[in-house]
Amino acid sequence: MNMIEQPRNFTTELAVIGSGIAGFAASVFAVNRKIATALAGNSGAVAYTTGYLDLLGRLDGIATAVTDPWEGLLHLRQTQPKHPLGRIAVADLRAGFDEFTSFLGSGGIAYSRAGDRNVTALTPAGTLKQTLCVPATMAAGPRAFAARAACVIVDFEGLKGFSSREVVANLGGRWPGLAAQRIGFPDMARGEVYPEVMARALEVPATRERLATALQGVAGPARVIGLPAILGVHRPDRVHADLERLTGLEIFEIPTMPPSVPGVRLRELLEQALPKRGVTLIPQQKVTGLGFDGDGATLDLRDSYGPIRIRARAVILATGRFLSGGLEAHPDRIAEPLLDLPVTQPAGRADWYRERYTDVRGHPLHRAGIEVDAESRPLGRDGRPCSERLFAAGVIVAHQDWIRSRSGAGIAIATAYQAVGAAERYLRGSSGGLAATPSLNRQVVVPGE
Amino acid sequence: MSTISPEQPAPAAATTLETEVLIIGGGVTGTGIMRDLALRGIHSILIDKIDLCAGASGGNHGLLHSGARYVSTDLEAAIECRQENELLKRLAPHCIEATGGLFVAVEGDDPAFADEFPELCRRAGIRCDELTVAEARKLEPHLSDRLVRACRVPDATVDPFHLALANVDHARLTNGSLYRSHTELLRFEIVDGEIRSAVCRDHRTLAPLTIRARQVVNAGGAWAMNIARLAGCADVDLLYAKGTLLVNHDRMTRHVVNRLRPPGDGDILVPGGTVSILGTTSTRIQDLDHVAPTVDEIDRNIREGAAMIPALAGARYTRAFSRVRPLLQGTGNASDRAASRGFALLDHRSQGLANFCTITGGKLTTFRLMAEKAADLVAGRLGNRQAGTTATVPLPGDDAGRWTEPGAAPKHWYKLNDPGDMILCECEMVPQSAIDEIVATPPGAEREVMSIEAISLRSRVGKGPCQGSFCGIRVASYLYDSGYYRDAAGLVHMRDFFDERFKGQRPVIWGRQAAQMELAEALHCGLLGLDALDAD
Amino acid sequence: MAAAIAAGPLRRADRTKQMAETAIAPLNFKEAALELLPPGANFDACLTCGLCSSGCPASGIENMDPRKFIRMAMLGMDEELSTTPWVWCCTLCKRCEYVCPMNIDVSQLVFLARGNWPQDRKPKGIARSCHLAQLGDSTSAMGMPPDDFAMIVDDVLEEVRGEQPGFQHLAAPMDKRGAHFFVNQNSREPMSEPEEMVPLWKILDRVGADWTYSSKGWAAENFCMFTGDEEAWRNVIKKRVDAVNDLGCQVWLNTECGHSYYTMWQGVKRFGLDARFRMDSLITWYARWIREGKLPIDSRWNTKGIKFTVQDPCMIVRKSYGDAIAEDMRFVVRTLVGEENFVDMQPNRSANYCCGGGGGFLQAGMTDQRRIYGKRKFDQIAATSAAYVLTPCHNCHSQIEDIGRFYGGDYGVVHFWTLMCLSLGILGKNERHYLGPDLRALID
Repeated sequence: MNMIEQPRNFTTELAVIGSGIAGFAASVFAVNRKIATALAGNSGAVAYTTGYLDLLGRLDGIATAVTDPWEGLLHLRQTQPKHPLGRIAVADLRAGFDEFTSFLGSGGIAYSRAGDRNVTALTPAGTLKQTLCVPATMAAGPRAFAARAACVIVDFEGLKGFSSREVVANLGGRWPGLAAQRIGFPDMARGEVYPEVMARALEVPATRERLATALQGVAGPARVIGLPAILGVHRPDRVHADLERLTGLEIFEIPTMPPSVPGVRLRELLEQALPKRGVTLIPQQKVTGLGFDGDGATLDLRDSYGPIRIRARAVILATGRFLSGGLEAHPDRIAEPLLDLPVTQPAGRADWYRERYTDVRGHPLHRAGIEVDAESRPLGRDGRPCSERLFAAGVIVAHQDWIRSRSGAGIAIATAYQAVGAAERYLRGSSGGLAATPSLNRQVVVPGE
Repeated sequence: MSTISPEQPAPAAATTLETEVLIIGGGVTGTGIMRDLALRGIHSILIDKIDLCAGASGGNHGLLHSGARYVSTDLEAAIECRQENELLKRLAPHCIEATGGLFVAVEGDDPAFADEFPELCRRAGIRCDELTVAEARKLEPHLSDRLVRACRVPDATVDPFHLALANVDHARLTNGSLYRSHTELLRFEIVDGEIRSAVCRDHRTLAPLTIRARQVVNAGGAWAMNIARLAGCADVDLLYAKGTLLVNHDRMTRHVVNRLRPPGDGDILVPGGTVSILGTTSTRIQDLDHVAPTVDEIDRNIREGAAMIPALAGARYTRAFSRVRPLLQGTGNASDRAASRGFALLDHRSQGLANFCTITGGKLTTFRLMAEKAADLVAGRLGNRQAGTTATVPLPGDDAGRWTEPGAAPKHWYKLNDPGDMILCECEMVPQSAIDEIVATPPGAEREVMSIEAISLRSRVGKGPCQGSFCGIRVASYLYDSGYYRDAAGLVHMRDFFDERFKGQRPVIWGRQAAQMELAEALHCGLLGLDALDAD
Repeated sequence: MAAAIAAGPLRRADRTKQMAETAIAPLNFKEAALELLPPGANFDACLTCGLCSSGCPASGIENMDPRKFIRMAMLGMDEELSTTPWVWCCTLCKRCEYVCPMNIDVSQLVFLARGNWPQDRKPKGIARSCHLAQLGDSTSAMGMPPDDFAMIVDDVLEEVRGEQPGFQHLAAPMDKRGAHFFVNQNSREPMSEPEEMVPLWKILDRVGADWTYSSKGWAAENFCMFTGDEEAWRNVIKKRVDAVNDLGCQVWLNTECGHSYYTMWQGVKRFGLDARFRMDSLITWYARWIREGKLPIDSRWNTKGIKFTVQDPCMIVRKSYGDAIAEDMRFVVRTLVGEENFVDMQPNRSANYCCGGGGGFLQAGMTDQRRIYGKRKFDQIAATSAAYVLTPCHNCHSQIEDIGRFYGGDYGVVHFWTLMCLSLGILGKNERHYLGPDLRALID
C-alpha cells in the first residue's frame, strides 16, 4: 500500500516556476505583497551569477559601455520598443531593485543601492564591467579603482582560473598602484582548491584569523586588498567585515569563473529565507507538467520522495532560457517545452548565430523568446493571452539579449516586478480575492494513518 | 617556463632563409615529403599559411581506408589504399587504431550492391568477412534494427595531426629541417625558368620573409592550383568538392561503420579516440576561402547516418566542419564521388619551370606514397640517388603527438597522481604539465609563439563538450601566472581562441550545446567583456 | 590537524601489495550510464562546470572528484575508474546531483563500481558487516543473534524497572503481533551500549505508542548497499519486509539511523518487494507527537543557553524525504533547545554536506581519507560555535565525534532521544554518556 505513489498536494495562490533570479525575485515580491506562494523549479543558471546586479551595461550593437543606464533605457524605449526593459516605468524598476536588494541585505548579502550611474566593476580578467548594484563584499574594488588607490590583488595556490597577475597585467596600465601577490590558503593542502571550499572555511573565525595574518604579510604599503570571491557563503557581509577588522585593510572581492561562490550564496540565502517567510519551496526539481482549468492551475513535478502536485490560482513562468530549460533549441525550431508557447525566433537555424562569436552585435538566437502583453501574460498562437492565470518573468521573454546588453538581473527583476503586480491584480480582482492572511502551506511530513 | 613569453623577439624583419627544398603546405603530404627528403639527407623548409593540417588533412574522418570504400568506383585506388593501410599499421602504429570497419546495409538499400561487394573486395585483395545481422549488432549494439547486410573489413582510424607532428619531428631530428607555421606565400622570384626564392610573410605579424631554395614543392592540397598559378603554371586543373562532417562528442562505435551502398551522404561514421565523426556530404564549389557547413548538409548527414545508427538522430554534436577536397580534373565522367581519388604529380616542365613540382589529389590513406613519389622527383632533380625509405623505416613515436591523442593526457596524469599538477582542460583532462611542455617545446613549431589556439592544436585542449569555453580561461590565467603573458595579448588570444572554436560549433548549436553556449557567452561576454576588447 | 592535512591525499600505493588479490575486471561505465541514468540527466548533458566537485567533500581525495569521474567515464578510462579506491571515499550522498543544474547523478556509477570490486578486495569492514547481516534472522551487521537481542532487551528492561522510579511498568514488547509500530534497532546499542536503548522506550511509553521489537529482521543497519552488492542488499531487506509483514504491523518505524531508512525504502521500491506497511522515520513522529501534545517537551531546562546545531543525515533528508523532514527536525530541535539556542549549519537541509561517515566510510578502514572528507563538516560545525550537534543518525554521530576529537573541536554529539528524556526529566543516570559536563550540571 505504501508503494503506490500518491502525489503530495499543495495548494497556494501563486506558483512560481523557476528558481533563477527572476523566480526568486518574483517570490520575494509576492511574499512582500502577502500572496501565498509556492516556488518550484531547477535553479539552473543562478549558480553561475557573478554577484553583480546589472541593469544595462551595453546597448546592443554599440561597443561602448553604458555609464548612465537610465539614459540608456530612454534610448532603448525609442529604438527597441519591444525590449522588456523599455516596457517598465523607471520608478517601478528602481522600486524592484530596492525591494529585491533589501531582501538580500536582510539575509546577509547587502547591496549598494541602485544609483544614477553604473558602477565600473572589476572582472577576473582585469577588464571592466558596467553594473548597477554591487554586493558590499565587492564594493571597495570599484571605489579603489576610481581613486586609483594603491591596491594588492591576492590569489591562491591551487585556485584555477583566477590569476592576480592577469588582473594586474590587464588593469595595471590604467591603475598604476596595482600589484599582484600569491599566498597559500590556510590549512589547504597542495593541489586544487575551490572557491566554495575556501568560502566555507572562512566562516570559521580561526580561519579568518590565519588568512588575515597572511594578507597583512603581503599588503605592503597598500591599504586595499582584492581577493577572488571567497568571503563566506552564508552571511558574507559578516565574514567581510570581520576580515577587514582583523587586517585593518579595506577588502573587496572579484567574481570568479564557475564554479564560483556568488551564485551559491544567492541560492542558499533565498532557499532559506523564502521558506522562513512562508514560501513553499520545492528546491531543485523541474516542473514537468502545467495545466489550467476553470478553477486554477496544476503543476506536476517530483522530488526524490515521489510525485508532487501544486494547485495554484495563478502561475508565474520564470523558467529561463536554454541553460535552465525554459527554452529548447531543436534542430528545426526553438520551443517552449512546458506549454509549447509560441516562440518568436529567427527564420531558420542558419540565422541563429552570426559568423563571429564575439561579434559585438550579439546573436539573433538570443532575442528569441515568448511574447507577453502589457499585463505580462504570455501570448498564444492566436495573439491573445493563453491563460488569464499565467504570467511570465525573466529572460524567457523575447526581444532582448541579456548577455550582450549586460542586463540579466535588470530584466529578471523588472519583469518579475511587473508579473507579480499583474498576478496580484488578477488574484485580487478574480472571484474569491486574496485570502486576508496568507495561508502558510509549509510542507510538513504527516505520518499517515 | 617563466622565461618564455610571447613577446620574445620574433625573427628579425626581412629575414632570408636558405634550404635545399621549400615545401608549401603543412598537410600530411607536405609533412610526409619533408620527412622523406630528410631520410635521404635533403634539407627542407615546410611552410603553411595557417598551421599543420589546416586544410583537408585535418578536416576529414581520420579514416585509414582498407580500400573497400573504393572497390566499386576505382579499383586502382582501392588497391593503393589496401597496401598503404597495411604498411602504415606496421610503421606508424602509434598514430593508428586498428578498429576494423563494418559495411552495413539497411532495408531499402540496393541488394545488388551488397551482393557484389565481397567479390569486388577480393579482387582488390581486401579481406572481407560477411557477418550475419545478429553478429554485426553484437559487435555494434547501436546499429539499426533495420539492418539487412553486414561485412567486416580492415578499416582503421588514423590521427592526421599526430602523423603530421611526427613527420615534422622526425625530419627536424634527422637533419634539422624546419617547419614554419603562419607563413603565407606571396610570390615567387623566377629567373631563367627557375624559382630562385619565395617571398613570404608572417600571416599574423605581416613580417616579411624570403626563402631561397633549389627546389620547390607545391603540396597545397586544394590550394595547389592557386600556388601553381603564382609560379605561372596553368597545368594544375582541380575541381573542388566541399565535404561537411560532424563531430559527436561520444564514441558510439568500436568499428568504422560504412554504408554498404554506392558512396553517398552521411555514410561513414568513424570513432576517433573519444569522439565519433560522421560524414560526409559532397558539393561542388568554386570559392576556396569561404567554406562553411550549411544547415542542409548537416541535416542530411544526420538523417543518413541515423539510418545506420539511429542514436545519431538525437546525439550531442560539438562541431561541424567543411573542408575542400581537390579532385583531379580530366576523368570527365559523372559525379565527384566517382572522380579519381588517385593523385597527380606534375613536374611543370611543360610550363617552363625546372625546379617546381606539384603534388595533389589523393587521400589521407595514401599520403606516404604521394610523398614518396614527389620526393623521388625532387631528389632526382637534386642529383640525390638515395632511394626513399619511408616504406621500411618506422615513424618514430611518440613524443610529438602525445598530447593530441584523445584520452592520452588523462591516463598519463592519472598514473603520475600528482595533486599539484592540476587539470586545466577538464573535458579532455589536460593537466598543467602538458601545457608547460607544449609551450616550452612546441611540437612542430620550435620558434613559434604559442597562442591558446596553437596549444589547442597540439593537445586536446578545447576539444571536449565545453569546446574550450572554460579551459580557455583557465589556460590563459595559468599562462599569466607563469609569466608567459604579461599584457593584453592573453586576452586577445583567449578571444581569438573562442572565436576560432566557435566556427566549428556554430552549425551544430542546438539541444545541450545551446545550453553550453549560453553559459559560455554569459561568461566570455557578460562577465569578461571579450566582445568589447577593442572598444574599451 | 595541520599534520593530517599536510599528509594530503593518500597515494594510491597499496596497489602492489594487492597484486596477489583478485584482479578487478574493468566495467564499461559509459554503457552503464546509458542504461542507468535518465535521458535528460545522462553524462551527455554535463556542462563540465564543476559545481559538483566544488560542492563535494570527497573532491581531491585520491586526486579525484565527481567531475573527473564523469569525464573519465566519457573518455573510456574504465580501468582507472574500476580500480580507483575513491569509490570507497565517495559516500554516495548525492550532493553532486543536487547542486548540478543538469541533475546528473554520479553516485549510481560509483555504486556500480563498488559492486564490481571482487569480494576479497572490498574494504573488509564493509564486506564483513554485509556478510554478518545475511547470516542469521536478525539482519544485524554486528552478527547479534535474535536470542541475544531478546535477552539483552529483557535484562535492560528489568534493570530499568527495578532501578528507575516511575518506570516499573516500562515495556519493550518483542514479536507483538498487530502492534502499530515495528520499531527497528541499530545493533550498536544492544551490542555495546544497551542502556542507550532506554530513552527511546521511555518516549514510546510516554506517547502511549503501540509498538514492538521483532526477534527477526530487527536490525537497522544495512552495509550490503554500500558494498554495491544488489543481491545481498535485497536479501537483507527481504528478511526485514517479511518480518514486518509477519507481525502485521502498520508502520515500520526507523529509529535514529539514516541509512537504514534509505536502504529499506529504496530497497522495497528497487526490488519490487511486497511491503504491506508504511515506512516512517522516527523524526516525523517526534514532530507529530509534539504537535499533538503527546510529547510535552520544552526548552525550559536549557537555562544556560547552551547552543545546539543539527546534522541533516543525507540518507533521510536529501536522498529520501527532502526538506520536509528537515523542517520537522528543526521543529523538534527548536522546541527542545529553544529557538534562540538553535544555530543552523551552513549549508543545511537538502544542501547539507555529508559528514563523511556515510556510505560505509566509517567501516572502510580509510581513516585518513575519511578525516580529510570530514574537515568540511568540522568547519561547518565550528562556524556555528554550537556546543552540541544533534543528529538522528548513528554514522553521522560517530563520524562527527571522531572529527571533533581529531581536529580539536570542543563540541559533543547527542541523540534526540537523550535530550528529549532530559527535557522530560526522565533521563536515567546511566543514559548520560553523551552529555558533557555543562548538560550534566543542569540535571544533576
